[in-house]
Amino acid sequence: MTRILALAVSALMAVAAPSAMAADGKALVESNKCGSCHKMVGPSAQTIAEVMKRKAPDLFYAGSKFNKDWLVKYIQSPTTLRAGGVVYLNSISLNGEADVVKDPPKCASKLSAGDAAAVADYLMTLKDASMKTGVFKPGKVKKARARVVMMKDEACNACHVFPGKGGGISCPTFEGIGERLNPDWMYSFIQDPKHWDPKVWMAKRDFDDATLQLMVNFLMTAD
Amino acid sequence: MIMTRLASILFFAILAVGFLGQADVAVAKEKAADNYSLYCVQCHGSKGTGRGINAPALSVQPRNHTSAKDMSSLTDESVFKSIKEGGVAVGKSTQMPPWGGILTDEEVTDLVKHLRGMCKCEGKK
Ligand code: HEC
Ligand code: HEC
Ligand code: HEC
Repeated sequence: MTRILALAVSALMAVAAPSAMAADGKALVESNKCGSCHKMVGPSAQTIAEVMKRKAPDLFYAGSKFNKDWLVKYIQSPTTLRAGGVVYLNSISLNGEADVVKDPPKCASKLSAGDAAAVADYLMTLKDASMKTGVFKPGKVKKARARVVMMKDEACNACHVFPGKGGGISCPTFEGIGERLNPDWMYSFIQDPKHWDPKVWMAKRDFDDATLQLMVNFLMTAD
Repeated sequence: MIMTRLASILFFAILAVGFLGQADVAVAKEKAADNYSLYCVQCHGSKGTGRGINAPALSVQPRNHTSAKDMSSLTDESVFKSIKEGGVAVGKSTQMPPWGGILTDEEVTDLVKHLRGMCKCEGKK
């Protein structure tokens, strides 16, 4: 019993004692008020009413979701990833019968290279321990097969933009997604989007491992 | 006796903590109008006429839910099925996604009623 306790305590200590850089990063996240738009602490919105108040994507599992190199670049000069806004319902207005997007919100982060490195170090410590890692198996990318699955059978392009092919705009673009996201996270998200965001406006389908590997391999090279 | 009672209290306490710690907790049922806004408007549009922000990217026009003519040609059962299992389950386009993994059966049933309010029409018998 005491041995288990001691183990638990030291595990907690390991989590609570990040590197000096990450500690600086945490202070920078606070002084730059990233948390005024982003949720830096979970859980994700549990009701539609809470979703409607979301100003920016959740960052409390950033360490599971992103590639660090991409983060360092993005928080120095953010670009638009969600052409329809963070919660598209908050960015649409009517033009006759049709909905059009008006002024989607942008990320306000404008960190120097040094600060961005420290913030990225900190963000990479924010992990969802329940996510399986080492799941993605890089293999030969079967582009034609992946396009049939993703643009015909499952119509992922109804909501996501495919590089060079266009697509829907109610959620993030697939342009540059391989550089941006951790493939294990993509696998987990496509398998069960509700685990990450209980109210996500993406359907949950029952994919087998082979199909998930096919799609994530395709996304890893989609630029 | 006291020991067993204590043990069972402890057992339930651990169980409760286990559940609270779960990320995938059951979430409260939402109103059909709110579900329609968040999940359907992206394609079917805020007027329900099939002119959502994703519509220009689709090769098939999303159904006009305000059209009594179109909607009365569908039975309530087939509307339920298309929402839960996707367009493909009723012989329509895969661009109409399956929402069964996101919405409960009760929420889908409420959506069918909501659609009947939008078209001011009854389902084909
Ligand atoms: C005024 C609100 C606001 C503030 C303050 C803000 N952001 Fe953002 N951020 C956004 C929005 C909106 C987006 C989504 C942009 C898009 O998808 O087009 C975003 C996107 C991001 C993303 C990408 C997230 C994803 O899931 O794609 C990261 C990383 C990020 N911000 C980091 C930061 C950091 C670090 C800070 C503080 C230094 C910060 N942001 C401050 C509004 C904000
Ligand atoms: C009905 C619209 C819709 C469809 C269809 C859809 N998605 Fe999504 N997808 C979403 C939404 C909404 C999000 C999360 C939005 C956010 O992070 O702001 C998302 C996020 C993602 C992400 C994470 C992207 C990121 O940049 O953060 C991946 C990967 C993804 N979807 C893959 C897929 C795949 C693969 C398919 C087809 C099997 C698919 N999606 C079909 C709506 C959709
Ligand atoms: C990604 C875009 C998209 C989203 C999101 C979407 N739909 Fe659809 N829906 C379509 C398309 C496209 C069609 C037309 C299919 C066809 O005619 O082959 C359609 C058709 C339908 C139909 C008619 C089915 C039939 O048998 O003709 C119903 C009912 C429907 N949608 C309800 C909904 C509801 C309710 C939601 C939200 C829970 C929703 N849709 C979300 C694209 C979408």
